[in-house]
Amino acid sequence: MKSSLVGQAVILAALALLPAAGEAIYFRDKISWRSAIAPSEMVTVEQARELGGTAIWIDARPDDDFANDHVPGAISLNEDRWNELLPQFLAVWAPGKKIVVYCSSLSCNSSREVAHRLRKEAQLSDVFVLEGGWEAWVKKNR
Amino acid sequence: MGEEEQMNPTPNAERSQHLPLGVGRSALDVGRFLWRILDFVLAGIFIYAGALKAIDPVQFANDIDNYKLLPWPVSVALAFYLPWLEIFCALGLVFRFLYRGALSILSASIVVFTLATIAAKVRGLDITCGCFGHASQNWSFPSHLATNLAILAALLALLFKATSRNRLQNAV
Repeated sequence: MKSSLVGQAVILAALALLPAAGEAIYFRDKISWRSAIAPSEMVTVEQARELGGTAIWIDARPDDDFANDHVPGAISLNEDRWNELLPQFLAVWAPGKKIVVYCSSLSCNSSREVAHRLRKEAQLSDVFVLEGGWEAWVKKNR
Repeated sequence: MGEEEQMNPTPNAERSQHLPLGVGRSALDVGRFLWRILDFVLAGIFIYAGALKAIDPVQFANDIDNYKLLPWPVSVALAFYLPWLEIFCALGLVFRFLYRGALSILSASIVVFTLATIAAKVRGLDITCGCFGHASQNWSFPSHLATNLAILAALLALLFKATSRNRLQNAV
């Protein structure tokens, strides 16, 4: 096809729109355009507390932060030592348990990364991210 | 046969007439063969990278968002769009269809991602690049940078060659 470099680039850019649009429709229930975490996958501190004994708390922060302080009963599971820590978590997990993952604050990403990997790699459902993370928990509990 | 070759199928043959019989022609053929191999290697890399991201756009949206450069809705839009752009451009390299456009888009995307990675590193963000889905999760910053620069160098070499050939054909 004889066309300028820019013309060729524009045609390719336009062609890629078609499958991208199709994929956006296909994944419309799996990703929110408004928030990085779908509302159905997030819990507030109050909602997490109401879960009581059915919840397993996962601390997705680095080891040092976990060692410094954490939600009582929480298990450390971060991406730095995923392979080491995952078996410890799986040992306490049981069907029917709800998992609440938190990281430092509202702006951190590790809780949603860990939650995503638990859903995808460990094939677990009922995995939630704590809104506001550790900061929000401290504010409501101390 | 590619678009540039279809327009003028004989430039290499014309040049090879001035070279020693047999030796020049085979050397040119080997050269063309090696450039095509480079096309296929790069296409394979981008098809692999694009496919990994296209099958998991949620993860890729998170990877883009980790750079903290764009609003979330833009990250989502790019997560749906960029993998397919990579795949289409890679197919352009394989079939030499919209060839120079494909090379320029891939070069630009590598430059943008490399700059974004450097910016993230400078700001102290410890993130995965997302380039190859979870396959690139444990890449160190230097290896990530070296890979990107090597791919960019290969793309620019192909683009320079294609543009030079195109100019030559236009002049003829």
